[in-house]
Parts: sequence; C-alpha cells; structure tokens
Amino acid sequence: MTSNTAVRTVPEEKSTGTVRAAHPFVRYAVRRVITSILLVIGVTLVTFVLTNLVPGDPVAAALGQRAAEDPTIVAHFRAEYGLDKPLVVQYFTYLGNLLHGNLGVSTTTHNEVSADLAQALPATLEIAIGAIVLSVIIGVVLGTVAAYRRGKVSDHVLRVVSLAGLSVPTFWLALVLYYVFYFKLHIAPGSGRLDSDFNAPHTVTGLYTVDALLAGQLDTFFDALSHLFLPVLVLTLYTVGLLTRFVRTAVLEILDQDYVRAARAKGLPTRTVIWSYVLRGASIPVLTVVGLAFGSLLSGTVLVESIFSWPGIGSYAYQAASHLDLPGIMGVGLLIGVMYLLVNLIVDLLYGILDPRVRIA
Amino acid sequence: MAFRSAKTRIAVGAAVVAVALVITGCSSGKTTGSNSATKTLTIDKAFDLKTADPSRMYEPTGEMVDKALYETLLTFKGGDVSKVVPGLATLKESADAKTFTLTLTGTHKFSDGSPITANDVVFSLDRVIGIKGNPSFLLDGVTVTKKNATTVVLTTKTATPALPSILANPALGILNSKVVKAHGGTTTTKDAAEKYLNTHSAGSGPYILSSLDLASQVTLVANKNYDGTDKPTYTRVVIQNVEGPTQKINVQGGSADVALDLSGTQATGLGSAVTVTSNPSANVIFLLLNQNPSISKITSNPDFIKAVKESIDYSDLVSIAGTGTSQAPGVVPSMFLGALKSSDELKTDAAAAKADLAKSGYAGQPVTLNFPSDITLNGIEFPTIAQRIQSQLKAAGITINLAPAPVATELDAYRNGTETIGLWYWGPDYPDPSDYLVFTPGNVVGLRAGWAAGADASISKLADAAAAGGSNAQRQSQFEALQKALNDSGPFIPLLQPGNNIASKSTVTGVVYNAVWTIDIAALGKK
Repeated sequence: MTSNTAVRTVPEEKSTGTVRAAHPFVRYAVRRVITSILLVIGVTLVTFVLTNLVPGDPVAAALGQRAAEDPTIVAHFRAEYGLDKPLVVQYFTYLGNLLHGNLGVSTTTHNEVSADLAQALPATLEIAIGAIVLSVIIGVVLGTVAAYRRGKVSDHVLRVVSLAGLSVPTFWLALVLYYVFYFKLHIAPGSGRLDSDFNAPHTVTGLYTVDALLAGQLDTFFDALSHLFLPVLVLTLYTVGLLTRFVRTAVLEILDQDYVRAARAKGLPTRTVIWSYVLRGASIPVLTVVGLAFGSLLSGTVLVESIFSWPGIGSYAYQAASHLDLPGIMGVGLLIGVMYLLVNLIVDLLYGILDPRVRIA
Repeated sequence: MAFRSAKTRIAVGAAVVAVALVITGCSSGKTTGSNSATKTLTIDKAFDLKTADPSRMYEPTGEMVDKALYETLLTFKGGDVSKVVPGLATLKESADAKTFTLTLTGTHKFSDGSPITANDVVFSLDRVIGIKGNPSFLLDGVTVTKKNATTVVLTTKTATPALPSILANPALGILNSKVVKAHGGTTTTKDAAEKYLNTHSAGSGPYILSSLDLASQVTLVANKNYDGTDKPTYTRVVIQNVEGPTQKINVQGGSADVALDLSGTQATGLGSAVTVTSNPSANVIFLLLNQNPSISKITSNPDFIKAVKESIDYSDLVSIAGTGTSQAPGVVPSMFLGALKSSDELKTDAAAAKADLAKSGYAGQPVTLNFPSDITLNGIEFPTIAQRIQSQLKAAGITINLAPAPVATELDAYRNGTETIGLWYWGPDYPDPSDYLVFTPGNVVGLRAGWAAGADASISKLADAAAAGGSNAQRQSQFEALQKALNDSGPFIPLLQPGNNIASKSTVTGVVYNAVWTIDIAALGKK
C-alpha cells in the first residue's frame, strides 16, 4: 500500500530566526483562545461587582428571621463564607480559589458550587442539545424552502409560523403542551427527568439517557428519553422560529449572487445548487445565530425548567438569585459566560474553516 | 471493507449498538414491578429545602422530610398543634416553667437497631445549640443535662412555657450520636456531619433517607426497625420539586399522589378523582405602619393607623385569596392557643375611617407601601394584595405609592425598620403564642415597625403577663387581652391566614394539615 503521506513532499520551512511561522489557522485559533481567557477574567470581575452591588444582605436572605437576629450565628455565618473580609480580598480569594477549580460553597445548598453546577449542567445540556439539533435541521429546511418559494403561499405560512414560534411565551406554551400531551392525550410522561418509579442511573456523564445506556438500563433510557420530549419540543418551537427567519434571509441574499445564478444556468441539479452553493454561502450568518441560540438555550431555560420540574442551570440560577447566594450566582454567571465564550470560540473557529478569508483578516 | 452507502453505515452502526447492549446485559432501573411489594407514594412540593440535617434545617420542606426520618421527644397528634403529646419521652414540667424532665419510654430503636439513650438526647439537643445553625435559637437559654440512662432535664433561667411545643419540632429530632460522631458530628461549630446526614439518615423515624437531591427529589424508604405506632403504609416515598401549576396537572393526571402547594384558585375543579383538604395556614399576612416619626410622621399618628384599619375591606382580600383563606383574627393564628375568636377580627367601617382620617390631619400626601414582589405564599401573590390595598385605601382618600422589591433586597429595609408601611408575613417558629410576643414594643417585629421599648407601656405590661406562662386557660386569656390591645392601638394590621390546599388522589387517606410539618407522611394510607 502506498501512503499519500509517505510520498508527499514536505515543503521547505520558512524560518524566521528560531521561530517557525505557524499555519494561519493555528495563529488565528491561538489568538481567539487568548482573547477568550482574558474575557473569562473580565466575566469574573463583572459578575463579582454586579453581585455585590445588589442591595441586600446575603446573611438576611440565607438565615431564618430569628437566626438572623442572633449576632453569634450571624458572625459565624459571615466567617464561614468569608463575608467578613473586605470586598477586594474576597475577589482575589475567589480568583485564587478559581485557579484551583474551587468556586466556593453555596450558602443555600451548603454544597460546593462546582458540584452543584456539575449536577445541574447535564440536565440543561440534555434538553439544549436536543433542541438545538432539531432546530437546526428543521430551521434550515424551512428557511430554505421559504426563501426558494419567496412570495408564495408556503413562504407566507412559514413566516407566520416562525413568527408565532418566536412570539408565544415559552412559559405559557410549556404549560399548555404539558396539559394537552400529558393530561389530555396521555402521550407524554409527567414532569421531571424520570418517573418516580425509577432511580436515577449511576452518574457518569449526568445525561440520564447516556448514563442509562452505559448502565445497560434500557427501561430507564426510554423513560428518560420520553421525559425529554416536551421540554425539547417547547425549546425547539422557539428556536426554530428564530432560525427559520435567519436562514430565509441569508438564503435570499445568496440566491441573488452571480455564482449561484451561474450554477443554475449551467444546469446543475437543484439539490447540488442548494447544498454546494447556497447553504455553504449562507452558513456563516446562520452559524452565528445557531451559536447565539445555543448559548441562549443554556442560560435561558428557567421558565421551561420550572414547568417541567427540570433541575437544570436555569432553576439553580433562580434559586441562587432569590437567596442572594453570592457563590452560587458567581458560579452560574461564570459558567454561562464561559459557555458563551466557548460557543463563540467554536463558531469563530468554524468561520475560519468555512471561509479562509476570516483567518487572514 | 468499506461501507458503500449511508444506509449500510447506519444499519451497521445500529447493529453494533444493539450488540453492545446485549453484551453489557440490560438491567432495570425501575424500583417497582408487578411482583414487587414496593408501594411508592409520590408527593409534589415546591422545594425550599436546604438540608436534611435536622440540627441545621428550618424550612417547611425540611420539616416534612425530617418528621419522617427522626422522632422527637414530644410531638403533636394529627393537626392539633395546641397540645403536645408524648413522643419518645414523657414530660414533667415545673410550675414555674423553668424545669422540664423528659423520660424516655418504651424500647425505641434507631434505624440501625441500636437503642435510643439519654446520651443520644443530650448530644442531639446540644448539637442544635452548639453548631449555630438556623434552628439554634429554639433552644436559646436552655441547658440540657442527663439525669440517668433514660432521663434528661432541660432547665431555663426564665419561664419558657413554649418549650414543650418547641420540643415537638423535627429540628429537635433525636440523632444516633454514635453514628453522627463517627461521621464528624460534634456539638460545636466544627461539626462536619451535614454531608453524611444529607446522604444517610441517623434517626428512628418511620422512614430512612434513600437519596436527596436538593434541587429535584428526596427519596425515602420504610425503616424496618421502626417501632412506633404509625407503621408506614408506603414502603417508598418520592418527594419531587414541582411548582404549583404543574402540581395541579400532575395530581389530576396521576403522576403525583399528593400535591402540597396549590393556590385557592388551583384547588378548584380538580375532578372527583382528587380530594382537596383546605385549611387556613398558620402564616399571617400583616401590614406594619412605622411608629418612628423620623421615618414617617403620617404612619406614626394613631388616628391615621385607626383610619387605615377601618378602611381595609378584609372580606374582599379573603375573596381574592381563594379557597381555604380566612381573615387573621390577630397576630396569633386561629389554630394556636391564645388565638382571638373571629368576632374579634378587625372590621371595615368607612364612616369611622373618614372621621379618624380627618382627625389625623392627613392631607393626601403619598405614603409608600413596601413589599416583597417575588413572594407567593400559599398561592397568594404579594403584589396582588398590595394593589388591592392601594385601591381600597384610595377609595378612603389615602394615597399609597407601591414600592415592590425582590425579597432578598427588601428584607434589609424590613429588618432595619426603615419601611413606612410594610406588607409581610410571619410564619410560626413554633406553635405557641409566645412566638408572637415579637409583635410588641422593643421586640423583633415591633422594632421593625419602629416601635421601641417603652413606646406603649400598657401593651408591654400585657406582653409581660403573657410571657410569664401559667395554665392553658390563663395563657389563653392573657394572649387574647394582648391581641385585643394590639388590634385596637398597635401598628400592625393582621390581614389574612392564606389557605393551605392539599390535593390528593382519592385513594390516599390520612391527609391532615399540620402547621409545623405540613403533612405526616407516615400517616398517609391507601384505600
């Protein structure tokens, strides 16, 4: 067997002293990663300042009304959570702990925040990933169809449907769908991640569907899968509305480009024109929106989580905020910030792959 | 070998997954089966759970959970919280309410089979005091001493007639001291047993803790060594964190057996398969008018306070609150010893309000009403009540500016006594009227209303008499006198006792509301 790599001629390295010039994509990626790290530090500062600017005393919020009147209990609480130190010291202590992966201890759950987040994040990821995958598939198809059939009935119908998806309050939609599919039609399970007859599978990833499969518990897998149905549906309906509109706009712009008209004039099959010319050209703006939508799904599912009793990041954030749980709020803020940065980083790197001009710029 | 088509690749992939599953062997994650004797009861509750460690727990969900896991020295029977009955021990109280002798009865055992001793009692109560947690205040000023292997003596320097009621609180549940000490338990702030007690229980209650997830679910299983009178019917109990609107659908649809947080509106029209148990809760929603003239010269005027009391339409407030809600007769809830009768409630009197308002010299200046905007108590939203009060007082000629704020931020102003008018609620720390002495001059809630010590000598005198204790009949009359005076001239306006609505499948029996632990899970049965 002859290997291509074996016979490939290695290009002569252009050396600038001792530093070898890196591939443009690598330089681009390194630059983006360094920017992201600086942004994470910025996120910690902004979250810390904003959290401490909120009027209100975390002691009053965490302790019962009688306990908060007892100076000994209050002093013990402040010392235990480091609230007796100046804010600057608290911030640098937080940063120092952060370097060791320590996000502090929640004043509400008394657990390490990292442990709480590690438990809540997979629950949110499980519905967010399902929703974004479905949304991209459906949104791209509907948006492309709407653009191709611009001005026709199907275009108008799809635009109205996508607008409805965006406009209907998710809280209301979740409640109505739950009522209809669970109570009236009996085709969806009750709230939560599993029926109460099931024990949670042994935690490996925190994603119940995956963990159930890893544990070889097929009945748990199907139960977990069925519980995903409604939360994913509600989130998908909203995100599909968003993506359909963006894809339609992006595809319409590309359809007017000369190279697409040339491809059509050459008599290329419609499928080839759509896949190789139109969607590839429209992919950059669509990718941006998909990244933002996924970030929004990770951080903005609090109402859906509330209706479906889903113990995810949204529920944890709400609980932390309502109890002025500073370590909890900081942890959620940081996690969401990092997730957004990560998603943006991935999107930016994909830009570089899809469009080499981005790297050069 | 290359797989030429996508279809072939998918088919092969599916086959690989299927084979992998067969190889790993499929087990079941289900706890019940057709041949299983396990009976699971599912309870929906909007969680406020922070811990299952009784010595640190002081939230309604925790009270319910720990009531199932731990037994207390004294307890209440059913929903009657006006009278304590023996639990693990019998009580002998001194006439001056300063010495309480508790003697362990029977042969009670912890869930690991070991017997409960006086050492366990002393350790458990000392731990509550020493770790400086939320419920530590319950035993303020109490000294715990072991007299012999089965007897413990509690002493206080001042009369503490409420102590028997306090001892019934699940926060004072008796722990297996050997087990807790082995997992870092101490009677000081160095205690490190909470993590253990959040994964295992170490009590003698009808259930043991199987799993606890503060965000989503608590699972209990029956304690095989439980030797109490109420043997649990359900061998497994799942308490799920579910919000009110979803609870309603769950109990109707059958995925929940009991739903604990339905509002008055949600508790109606549930159908014949669901039974609703409605009672006024022990929470009291009230208004405070600040008596500190530097905060407000208007609200510190006694005639203005009278005018506000006479202007409020209490029956209207009760009607918007829905099923189960009643007007609060005084600051002490209607089911407690010392409560006023409904005939003593404040009453609307438009003519008297007009006269008193004129006497106060009030000239239409806006007065601020502060309230927590994110509190929903037994389904009643505080903004709704605040808006209704604003409109009722407007009709009487009083201008109210609403100032909502999240509870976490508004608490500061409330606790520092800087609100002009505040709309808040008081949930009982323990079911004894002495918990409500805080509404008198110089005490916790009094100070929040700018009502300093000595501000009203006659009310302070009545409060001192009520604090001294005595027979139940004496205490009833002392607290009635105090509350009548408070209703007449105090700065507080008791408004509502919101309804507590428990919906359960009609096959579930024994649902009884208790003001301390909401429901006794072990008392629930099956038709």
